[in-house]
Amino acid sequence: MTESSFILKHPLRVRVFHYLLAASFLTLAVTGIMLYFKLLAEPAMNTAMQVHVVAGVVLTMDALAFFFLAFDRVVLFTKRTFTFSGNDIKWFAVLGGYPQKILLHKKVDVPPMGKYNAGQKLFGICVLVGGTLLILSGWVLWALPHAVPHGAASMIGSIHLYASWVLILFLFVHLFLGIYMWDDFKAMFVDGRIPYEDAAEKAPLWVKNDLRRLG
Amino acid sequence: MNQETKTYRKGEIPGIIAINARECKGCDACKRFCPTGAITGMFGTTHRVDVDRCISCGQCLINCPFGAPYETVDPVDEVAAKLADKHVTVVGIIAPAVRVAIGEPFGMPAGSLVTGKMYSAMKKAGFVILDNNFAADLTIMEEGTEFIQRARHALFGEKAEHGGGIGPLPQFTSCCPAWVRFVETNYPALIPNLSSAKSPQQMAGAVAKTYGAAQVFNVAPESVYTVGIMPCTAKKFEASRPEFQSAWHFTKEKGGSAPSAPYPDIDAVLTTRDLARLLKKMKINLAAENDAEGGTLFAEYTGAGTIFGNTGGVMEAALRTAWVVLTGTPLSKIEFTAVRGLKGVKSAAVTLRDRKYGKEVTVKVAVVHDIRANIRPIVEEVMAGRSPYHFIEVMNCPGGCINGGGQPVCDTGSSWIGRVLPSFAWS
Repeated sequence: MTESSFILKHPLRVRVFHYLLAASFLTLAVTGIMLYFKLLAEPAMNTAMQVHVVAGVVLTMDALAFFFLAFDRVVLFTKRTFTFSGNDIKWFAVLGGYPQKILLHKKVDVPPMGKYNAGQKLFGICVLVGGTLLILSGWVLWALPHAVPHGAASMIGSIHLYASWVLILFLFVHLFLGIYMWDDFKAMFVDGRIPYEDAAEKAPLWVKNDLRRLG
Repeated sequence: MNQETKTYRKGEIPGIIAINARECKGCDACKRFCPTGAITGMFGTTHRVDVDRCISCGQCLINCPFGAPYETVDPVDEVAAKLADKHVTVVGIIAPAVRVAIGEPFGMPAGSLVTGKMYSAMKKAGFVILDNNFAADLTIMEEGTEFIQRARHALFGEKAEHGGGIGPLPQFTSCCPAWVRFVETNYPALIPNLSSAKSPQQMAGAVAKTYGAAQVFNVAPESVYTVGIMPCTAKKFEASRPEFQSAWHFTKEKGGSAPSAPYPDIDAVLTTRDLARLLKKMKINLAAENDAEGGTLFAEYTGAGTIFGNTGGVMEAALRTAWVVLTGTPLSKIEFTAVRGLKGVKSAAVTLRDRKYGKEVTVKVAVVHDIRANIRPIVEEVMAGRSPYHFIEVMNCPGGCINGGGQPVCDTGSSWIGRVLPSFAWS
């Protein structure tokens, strides 16, 4: 395979954002589960809470930095995740062909997708909405519980809980499929590039409509 | 002594407040309101109440953003059963601060004064009214007279009229059960400085079961069931104190038909929240009631009793009494505005002429509320013998009883953000 057969899928700004997001969110998920189930002795629970808070601050800073320093990517990501077509429904009907491929070793017809398939769009929406809710509710719960009405504090606690459960459950799927699609995994964590053939197979509409050759 | 606790006597309720582990987020908010550091548990962990340090004030309960603290004593069903028993005279003893808060759970604006509606709703429920303002008037006569006695003893060497000892100055008020327990558990050397007068609730209970039973209700003392209706969770603790069985002792000494086991002066205490639940359970909508009169001698009171619910109210009432007793002349202006307001520690000096000794006396008083923030410098000064004051009113809760731990929980948040911001998780 030649150098020219690779295409840039994840620019450096996106990869740095994702490194910090992955590190902070995984930490938040693990410590959050510890705190929710009250799994540890008191000093360890206290440490878990402190780590949870620090990771939450890192996640917030990461999100703010990406929003302001890579606003074009935020707009593009938002536009792509919120753009739907009939193909998305058809994609969900076969779940992207992954169960058949993984469990039955069968290949089924999958409707053509853009840069993000329908499942990734759904995850993206959850990350955008759920992540925003988690950040905002987390700050209120940590720093300003008495700046809001009592009833609202309780509701914000519930929002924080449910949003985190949704994202944690999605995270397992995301991790599994991320590793399953090893080229994409390497691209996100190493140099941002994936083989052209891989992109043409999994994201034909992206390759056809959005990509242009440089140089 | 309770086996599991160190600071309670037999019969006393050890800890009115507990924390629901399922609801507690470990956010530490409650610790910022606890006057005694009784809430344990590190940030992020389930918090607990150390009952030996807890003074049952309930400030954690009304300020927890997640509603985790709760009351361990809920007498609503017991009171409902007594109200249904036609052989029992159930006396509702209504504290001053309840009437400006009980409207809230029935959809009325915060601060609505609903004395008449409350009388009506409670009579419909089966209560006989004993307005605690009546008992507050009794308290201030006792407390004010005691202060005069202590002052004359300190200044002029006057002896006790009936023998016995006379307490030292400064005299502290004793109406607030959280404050009394604070002294007992933190500064026991200052117990003699506390006024020996009972709180209005406890005077009311004893009066209802003695004079009330014989002269007003015309029933046997043991068939009177007294219910304190209070803005305060610590009043539940106060009612359980073993020294408050005066009516039983009195009846027994007078040869009346007292049962062998002592009965308490106050049988149950309902907080403002509890009363709202009771009325709702009985399908009585207080907001829809017409105004009614109290209907007995026990619903008569003065303005001095009414202001007991605010910080400074007891002191202002005491000063009015002291003025009249010492000078023998009525006040031209009854307001002592220097002791009003929400400043943490307020002080005033009142010069008056003691007609008995023919000398001018300057009485220096202080008013303290929110003891978490304000009391320690005052008591340390007294302990060191450097206090300039002769009489000090203390109420545990910020603002006084109107902001007690038994009041409706405010859904609109509070404004201590300025105190939170500097510390966050590492406080």
